[in-house]
Amino acid sequence: MKFQIEDVTVYFPYDHIYPEQYSYMIELKGTLDAKGHCLLEMPTGTGKTIALLSLITSYSLSKPQSPMKLIYCTRTVHEMEKTLAELKILHNYQIKHLGPQARILAIGLSSRKNLCVNPTVVAAENRDSVDAGCRKLTASWVRALAEENTDVTTCEFFESYEKAASAAVLPPGVYTLQELRAFGKEKGWCPYFLARHMVQFANVVVYSYQYLLDPKVAGIISKEMQKESVVVFDEAHNIDNVCIEALSVSVRRQTLEGATRNLSRISQEIDRYVFFYSRGLYRCQFLNWIMVGRFKATDTSILRAEYNRLVEGLVLGGNLPITDNWLSNPALPDDILKEAVPGNIRRAEHFLHVLRRLVQYLSGRLDTENVEKESPVGFVASICSHAGIDQKTLKFCYDRLHSLMLTLEITDTDEFLHIQTICDFATLVGTYGRGFSTIIEPFDERMPHIPDPVLQLSCHDASLAIKPVFDRFQSVVITSGTLSPIDLYPRLLNFHPVVSRSFTMSLTRDCICPMVLTRGSDQLPVSTKFDMRSDPGVVRNYGKLLLEMVSVVPDGIVCFFVSYSYMDGIINTWNDSGILKEIMQHKLVFIETQDVVETTLALDNYRRACDCGRGAVFFSVARGKVAEGIDFDRHYGRLVIMIGVPFQYTLSKILLARLEYLRDTFQIKEGDFLTFDALRQAAQCVGRVIRSKADYGMMIFADKRYSRHDKRSKLPSWILSHLQDANLNLSTDMALHIAREFLKKMAQPYDKTGSSDKKTLLSQEEMEKLGDGSMHEMSY
Amino acid sequence: MASTHVTKRAKYKTTIKDPGTPGTLRMTFEKILFVPHNPKSAGKLDVEFRYIKGKKHTKEGSNKPPWLNLTNNQNGSFIFEFENYSDLQECRDFVGKVLAKGGEVSEKPTVAYPDEQLSAAEMELRIKLLQEDSELQKLHKQFVLSGVLTETEFWATRKKLLDREASKKTKQRLGFKSAMISDIKPSTDGRTNKVTFNLTPEVILQIFAEKPAVHRAFLSYVPNKMSERTFWTKYFRAEYLHSTKNSIAAAAEAAEDEELAVFLKQDDILASEARKKIRRVDPTLDMEADEGDDYTHLPDHGILREGSKEMTESQNELYKRSLSQDINRHAAVVLEGRAVDVELEDTKAVAEALAQSKQKSSNKGESDGDTSRERLDRLSRMTEIEDLQGPNTLPLAPLCIKDPRDYFDSQQANALRSSGDALGEIEQIKCGLSTQEVYGSLRESISSIKAMGLKEPIVKPEVAHQVFDALTNSISNTKYHIGKNPQESVLDRLPRKTKEELLHHWTSILELLKHFWASYPITTTYLYVKVNRLKDAMSNIYPQLEALDAAIQHYEASMQKRSAQSGERPNGYV
Repeated sequence: MKFQIEDVTVYFPYDHIYPEQYSYMIELKGTLDAKGHCLLEMPTGTGKTIALLSLITSYSLSKPQSPMKLIYCTRTVHEMEKTLAELKILHNYQIKHLGPQARILAIGLSSRKNLCVNPTVVAAENRDSVDAGCRKLTASWVRALAEENTDVTTCEFFESYEKAASAAVLPPGVYTLQELRAFGKEKGWCPYFLARHMVQFANVVVYSYQYLLDPKVAGIISKEMQKESVVVFDEAHNIDNVCIEALSVSVRRQTLEGATRNLSRISQEIDRYVFFYSRGLYRCQFLNWIMVGRFKATDTSILRAEYNRLVEGLVLGGNLPITDNWLSNPALPDDILKEAVPGNIRRAEHFLHVLRRLVQYLSGRLDTENVEKESPVGFVASICSHAGIDQKTLKFCYDRLHSLMLTLEITDTDEFLHIQTICDFATLVGTYGRGFSTIIEPFDERMPHIPDPVLQLSCHDASLAIKPVFDRFQSVVITSGTLSPIDLYPRLLNFHPVVSRSFTMSLTRDCICPMVLTRGSDQLPVSTKFDMRSDPGVVRNYGKLLLEMVSVVPDGIVCFFVSYSYMDGIINTWNDSGILKEIMQHKLVFIETQDVVETTLALDNYRRACDCGRGAVFFSVARGKVAEGIDFDRHYGRLVIMIGVPFQYTLSKILLARLEYLRDTFQIKEGDFLTFDALRQAAQCVGRVIRSKADYGMMIFADKRYSRHDKRSKLPSWILSHLQDANLNLSTDMALHIAREFLKKMAQPYDKTGSSDKKTLLSQEEMEKLGDGSMHEMSY
Repeated sequence: MASTHVTKRAKYKTTIKDPGTPGTLRMTFEKILFVPHNPKSAGKLDVEFRYIKGKKHTKEGSNKPPWLNLTNNQNGSFIFEFENYSDLQECRDFVGKVLAKGGEVSEKPTVAYPDEQLSAAEMELRIKLLQEDSELQKLHKQFVLSGVLTETEFWATRKKLLDREASKKTKQRLGFKSAMISDIKPSTDGRTNKVTFNLTPEVILQIFAEKPAVHRAFLSYVPNKMSERTFWTKYFRAEYLHSTKNSIAAAAEAAEDEELAVFLKQDDILASEARKKIRRVDPTLDMEADEGDDYTHLPDHGILREGSKEMTESQNELYKRSLSQDINRHAAVVLEGRAVDVELEDTKAVAEALAQSKQKSSNKGESDGDTSRERLDRLSRMTEIEDLQGPNTLPLAPLCIKDPRDYFDSQQANALRSSGDALGEIEQIKCGLSTQEVYGSLRESISSIKAMGLKEPIVKPEVAHQVFDALTNSISNTKYHIGKNPQESVLDRLPRKTKEELLHHWTSILELLKHFWASYPITTTYLYVKVNRLKDAMSNIYPQLEALDAAIQHYEASMQKRSAQSGERPNGYV
């Protein structure tokens, strides 16, 4: 359908629209007009994504004189695919109505691992080896060598992409990752570099949060995005965590050992050059180098050339070929010093000495028996006094290493991750004085008998990483189904939204049924509170709850636990007591594990079990990967059971440090933040059941603590408004009864458009009939 | 015909060789009386009919004299020689009639309820059929309960219904049990530490399916390298080690025993299968792709999360297998279903059959490698928001067509609603084409097929659907319009109840007629009795029909009168 919002004609690819989608668009348009930032909370299951895409693309179509780019950030690759699929529906619709002028280019961007089509490279196990495998074939020096020596292999896809030069463009259209790969295969062009290239020209770019928030990645990928862009962070309830993770590094024993190995390898490489430089060639070794393709045709004075370049103040030699790009500086662009590398590390050998001393110092610090917490300033001071490395030198560590690796023409970068981590650490600790702390823990609190020292530099201030984004781009939209309390986010992220709103959901029928279960079938309270969680009675009550539900609820059931270890424990107990066997008689059981491949396959099987009518239960973990981004809509999830309140591990030193920082800086109370954080996770978990108003699902919060007002009130309003007082303090048998009633009610046919006084679905005519004014009133 | 007795001259013979005693044979419903002409001869006979079991007679045209041979229940026989065949016939018929009558009493327990031996399942099936189809139930009530037809007769003409249901049942393959393999608990003798496992081929098949490595090991080790008994002993030893969750002990034992290590190690076949499968999963689920995108999974970047530590544990990891893995694997296998169809008896056979079926499925997997399109379709279907979109699929009638009338009536409604105008379009297109154009397009499509081969759906689903629609439309048209059109039938002008009654009579008459004609030629007394019963039932209905007929005539007359009065004329009436 097609309708006006003030001066913009909005093209919406469906015949009907929800009223809240319409008001969402109005708010969004206000934000775009004001060129400001906004914060919008809209319940899941109301078509946020399509409303967003629809308005922003229509907005930019209506203003052809000032084209606007949409940068759409998702948390996961599968969400990226979903978004692009929705965009494709929209794009087809717009082309149908507007003709070729509506054509846009929309691409998804991911890592080499997900885009590479070279069979030998992509066969590698993980992302890092794919990256390294690609560099081995495409690095500028490898290609230069290949021109002289035909034995050196290059990547045919990259070569033909390079050959096509400026002719290598993507025709307009919407490209998911899969389609990018297909296009690349067909043309024989490398899809990864093609996509990287096309990012500058695309109207819509969909990629992961980190491509914008993590300075290491943003520095190379998002450098050239124009100011006139709209940045959307979808499902942004965890955005503060992404921000602080982007600036946090930890160092462990293995890291230091690996770094030491890396350093000796680098020094071997340097010696080789020096050896060339000073003595000429050793015949046999020369042959050997030719064999392994290590021989560099240029004069061996590149180290000298690098030194000269560094003296001139250039950290990296001007414009690097796209293939030589490495991860960028871990510090934020504004904080990187624009000056020459300090003299004491300009020479490769000297730099290596500095790094050796640093590694030695860090390993000394790891040998502690007590937990140590220090501010970065103090840490730098002690490095300076013990290892003789000053702050400025630390700050340049990353760039200097990068330059050295390039100079040494090292392609197997996956081998050098450890030293890279050390340099990241050094640069960050040297750059930031506040908002961070360094924490050394000799062992994990939960396993005190196993020594596992770790040194963590953790960022506490989410606003640091996101600040450049707010500063740089015209509009930033932060949206999710759970942003309650909505006034907290501007404080955490330190920005001033022009619009900040929370929408409720107008339902045709009560298609969600939240319940708080406080007691088991034996009327004893259930909870995952630390002192209760391992009580056999509680475990049994949870098992009985699931068992009863499994026999009543059709199709899919999802069950979230508070942590992996708790889930493992409880499943083992259920297995021993036979409850699991009984559950299996009703439904198949699938479990999220730490192994993503296995979890993905389990999910796939879970969906097939729901599709074929067998029905299944999926055990998952709050804060896990599944909870973050997999939908359990329609028959894939008729019931979600949230077992326990997913609090963070409150004894974690990092968390404590962050809480302290939040209290001191933003006056946010510890308890409030913890509850807020736990409840947003819980809401996120249960919110995955519903996708549209035709869908329905139940949510059981199984913990006595949910019945307390201070916990419950932190839930988003769209859940709270359906949580009836009668459902606040249930036992298993009562919940079972309610579930039966609810399912029976939902199975009846109903009028999708809602009753006449409260429209929940609007058609084209109704949209035209209703003026803007009345629409506004209706949706509030 | 309906005479109560027959009297004929005949000769009575005690044996075939006996020349016979001439006399008069008199048969009534009760008894057979033979009085010889010569009162002194000893051939006098007085037998009650209930002792007579059967009759044989010579055929007309054969060179034998017209004999009637009645056998009694002591295997004795009475032979009568008649003067001519017509006498014989008359007597034969009479005997037949009487015997049949007697049979009705005596045979009932054996013939009328042969279905007492029916299995409970069959009985249930019949009851289910009756419950599902009210019309059938009505017929059943009318004929079987009132005794016109027996239960067997009624169902004999509906074998198809029974068969289909039955065959459906047998065809369904059993899946795996929902219980896990680890639930196999050993039995102990209570005195020693020895435990005994009871393995059925069923369980073994499940083990093989869930643990391909064990399957492979079985194929290569048994019986060349070790006996089946040792094999399973080792297997359960390994399972025991797993259950102790002591990965160090497991590693130690594995180091000593190469074969045991096979069971203890992570299943490498599973791992490679997983890698293959992961390429085919729905992209909206693919968390592995996430991993590839995730920069914070660079070692030691980001904040340590719970659990990330376990990734870097010692090499004993190799011998560690979690319960979750087992559960996932079990559920996947159960979901996949059982591929092997063989009668499970021999373990070796089980193993080989499974290997074969795997080979087949992997071949298939390679051949239909291009599932990406299907995945994309699925994805786009999933992305659509269902209630914002208009109804996507046409309303479908349920697949099970018990009563064609229901089906066609509902299809008619659909067809009228949706495809009315579409049909018009098709006809227009057809009309607009000249012969040349048709020929040209045919040639074109043939050459394109030659060049590119057949495309996957030879007929586009939309086209097929349209054709199908048009066909149902025209078929249902005739059915539906019967009675709609006043010129064709009067049925629909009747009140609803009468119409239903009429239809019911119609079906019941059909049922009776079917049975009636099926009984001819009457070769047994049983059939004879049946036909009689049918005739009675039909004659019961007939007067009702006449009454209906009269009613209809009366109705028509009054309608005509009324229309003539109001001056309205029915359609088409000039």
